[in-house]
Amino acid sequence: MAATDRFDAIVIGSGISGGWAAKELTEKGLRVLMVDRGRMVEHGEDYPFDGKSVYETPARDRMPAALAKRDYFALNGWVSPATQPFFINDRLNPYDYDAPNKFNWVRPSVVGGKSLTWGRWSFRWAPTDYEANKREGVGVDWPIRYDDVAPWYSYVEKYIGVSGGKENLDYLPDSEFMPPFPMNVAEKWLKGRLEGEFPGRKLINARLSNITEDKPEQNRTRCQKRSQCSHGCSFGAYFSTQAVTLPAARATGRLTLRSDTWVTNLEYDPAKKRVTGVRMVDAKTGRAEVVQARMVFLCASAMSSLHVLLNSRPKDSERSWFHSNGALGSQVMDHIFRVGVQGDIPGMTDLIEYGRRPGGVYVPRFRNLVSEQLPFKRGYGYQGQAFRQPAMVDGFGADMKHGMREYGPWRFSMGAFGECLPYDDNKVMLNFGKTDRFGTPLLRFDVTFRDNEIKMMDDALEQGQLMLRRAGLTNVTGGRGKHVPGEAIHEMGGARMGRDPNSSVLNGWNQAHDAANLFVTDGAQMASVSCVNPSLTFMAMTARAADHAVKQMKAGVI
Amino acid sequence: MIDRRGALAGMVAAFGASVFAPLARAVAYQPNPVINTGPPAPVFTAAQRALVAALSERVIPTTDTPGAIAAGVPEYIEHMLGDWAIDDERGTILGGLAAIDARSMADYRMPAVKASAAQQDALLTLAMNDKLPGASEFFPAFKQLVLTGYYTSEVGITKEREYLPVPGDYDGAYPYAKVKRIFSS
Repeated sequence: MAATDRFDAIVIGSGISGGWAAKELTEKGLRVLMVDRGRMVEHGEDYPFDGKSVYETPARDRMPAALAKRDYFALNGWVSPATQPFFINDRLNPYDYDAPNKFNWVRPSVVGGKSLTWGRWSFRWAPTDYEANKREGVGVDWPIRYDDVAPWYSYVEKYIGVSGGKENLDYLPDSEFMPPFPMNVAEKWLKGRLEGEFPGRKLINARLSNITEDKPEQNRTRCQKRSQCSHGCSFGAYFSTQAVTLPAARATGRLTLRSDTWVTNLEYDPAKKRVTGVRMVDAKTGRAEVVQARMVFLCASAMSSLHVLLNSRPKDSERSWFHSNGALGSQVMDHIFRVGVQGDIPGMTDLIEYGRRPGGVYVPRFRNLVSEQLPFKRGYGYQGQAFRQPAMVDGFGADMKHGMREYGPWRFSMGAFGECLPYDDNKVMLNFGKTDRFGTPLLRFDVTFRDNEIKMMDDALEQGQLMLRRAGLTNVTGGRGKHVPGEAIHEMGGARMGRDPNSSVLNGWNQAHDAANLFVTDGAQMASVSCVNPSLTFMAMTARAADHAVKQMKAGVI
Repeated sequence: MIDRRGALAGMVAAFGASVFAPLARAVAYQPNPVINTGPPAPVFTAAQRALVAALSERVIPTTDTPGAIAAGVPEYIEHMLGDWAIDDERGTILGGLAAIDARSMADYRMPAVKASAAQQDALLTLAMNDKLPGASEFFPAFKQLVLTGYYTSEVGITKEREYLPVPGDYDGAYPYAKVKRIFSS
C-alpha cells in the first residue's frame, strides 16, 4: 500500500498523552494517524458497566482469584469484572523480570488507554520539582523550568476542567480551577486540628479532573457523585480520551484512528537522523505494514514507548538506534505508594455523607521544602478521605441485621505518594530470549526501590500516624505494605529529557536528540518524578511539544 | 455484522495443521476471559445446600425487609466457594456444616436442616462461641459470606439499604435522621 504522504503525523498510543497529541496536531491542520494496540471503545456506548451497581456486575464485581492469578497478575487487585474490559490480559501479553525484582506493569487494552481508568488526581508540578536534580546533583538537570510549562498547564486545565481550591502554595501551584468537591464535616474538623497542631502543614481539597460545572460545548455534564469513574462515565464528567480529546480531534476531520494495531518498532535513517516509518501489526490478522509520515509522536505510555524505542534497531543488531549514549531505558521510576494510616474521628455522629465524591482531601508535601536534616531527599503527600461505614454488629439474626442500619464512627484514612529518585541501574531492556506473539523481544524490568525510598516510606508512616494522633483521632493505626515497583501505576522515565545529548534521550521540547521528527511526550520523558500525580503534566507537555513541532514543521525544519 | 474473530477462526480451522503461526496466535488470543455469571459450579450436596440456605436465613432473617434466601445469598455462597475459594477454604465451610449436623443429631435427633428455627439458632450460637469441635473457623467465615452476599445483592442494596444510582449532589453534613438507613455505595 502506498502509505507515503497520507499522514503528516503518526501518534502512537491514544491515552492521556496520545489523545492530546491527536487533538493538538489535527487542530493545527495536520492529517494525523493515531494507532492504539487496544480495541475500540466508543464514549458511552462501550462502557458496559456505566451506571451499574455491584449486583448488576458479574460475580458482584469480584475477580475470581484463579482468573486474577492466571490472567491479571500484574494488576494486583486493580482489575475487577467491571473494569476488566479495559485492562490487558497479562498471560497473553507477557513481560519479563528476575524473580526477586518483580515489577507490576499495569496496562490497558483499549483505545483511550489508562485515561478511562486513571485516578484523576491532577496537580501541577512545582518549581522545586524541575530544579531538584540540579540542586542536589541527582540524575540529569531538566532542560526546562516551571515557567516553561506554566502556560501549558493553564491551557490544558481550562480545556479539561480541574476542580480544586486555590491555596497559593509555591510548592503546589494552583491550577485554573473549577470549584472543588467540598470537604465533609469530619474533614473540615480535621483540617482545623491538623493545621493548628502542625504549622506549615496543610489539608486541602482534592484536585481532580472531575468537573464540577457543565461543559456544554464539549457535551460534558458535571460529576453526578456516583463514584463509578473506572466503569467509564457517559456524562463525560472526568477527563478521558473518549470524552475530551478524541471528539475534538475527530471534529477536525483530519484524524484517522486505528485500533487493534500494535507498533513493534520505528524505522530510522541514521544519515538523515530521521524516523522514516512506523512498523505496525494488525492484531486481528497478523498483517504487518510500515506507515510513513513527516513526524511521529510516541505516546504509548512510558514503558511501552521504551519498548518501541529499544526495539527500533539496525538489522542484526541488538542495540537501538536511540541507545547511542546508554541513557535509553535507564532511570526508570515509580512513586512510592504502599504507606497507609487511619483512625477514628470523634463526634459528629448525627451527620453522614449524601452522594459519593470522586476524591477527598490532600496533605501536600511538607518535607525538605526548606533545608532539613532528614535521612532522605525529596518528599511525599497524602491522599485521603473521611467517611462512615455501617456499624459491624456481633452475633446474628434480626438484632444484628437491624443494628447494621446504624453507621459506625467517622473514620479517616490516607495513603502516601512519594518521589522516587532516578537511578542509572533501575532500567528496562529487551530480552532477546523471549518474544511476544508479534515476534518482539519481551520488555524486561530491573527496577527496585532503594535506601532513599525506604527511608521516605518509614517517615511517611511515622508522620502520618503522628499527625492523626495529635489532631485528636483515636484508634490510629498505620502500615507499610510490600511495595512492588509499578504498583503506583506512575511508572516513568527511561527516555529522559536533558540539556546534554550525551546523557539524555530528549531535548527540552520532547524531541529526540537522534531524530528531529520524533517526539516522546508520555511518562518516559521524565528526568525526575515529583511526588504528585503526573498525568496533568503529560497533557501540558504534550500540548507544548505539539505546538513546537508544528511550528518547526511549518518552518521547514522537520 | 460479521464477527471477524469467528470468520478468522473458521478460515484458520480450514487450513489445518499447516496454519501460519501468527494466524494461530491471533485466533488463540482471547483478550477477556469470561467470568461465570450463570449457575454456580456445584460445591454442595443437596443436603448441604439446604442447610446453607436455612443457616443463611438465620443469620439475616426476613424482618421488615427480605432475608438472606430472598436475596439469593445461598447461591452466592456456592458461587464464591466454587469460583473463588481454594480447597482449605471450602473445607472450613463444609467441615462446619458437618459439625453442626452432628451436634443436631446428638441434641435433637434430626439433621440441622430439619431442626426448628430456635434449635438452628442454638446450633449457630454454639458455633459462634467455638463450642463445636473442629468448627472454630466456621462461624466468622460463614457470617462474612452471608453479609457480603446480602449487602451486595439487589435486595440488600435497594431494599435493606438506600441506593442512590445518580446522587447528583454531594452533602458532607447530611443528617442521618433524614434517612435512617445506610446509603449503599
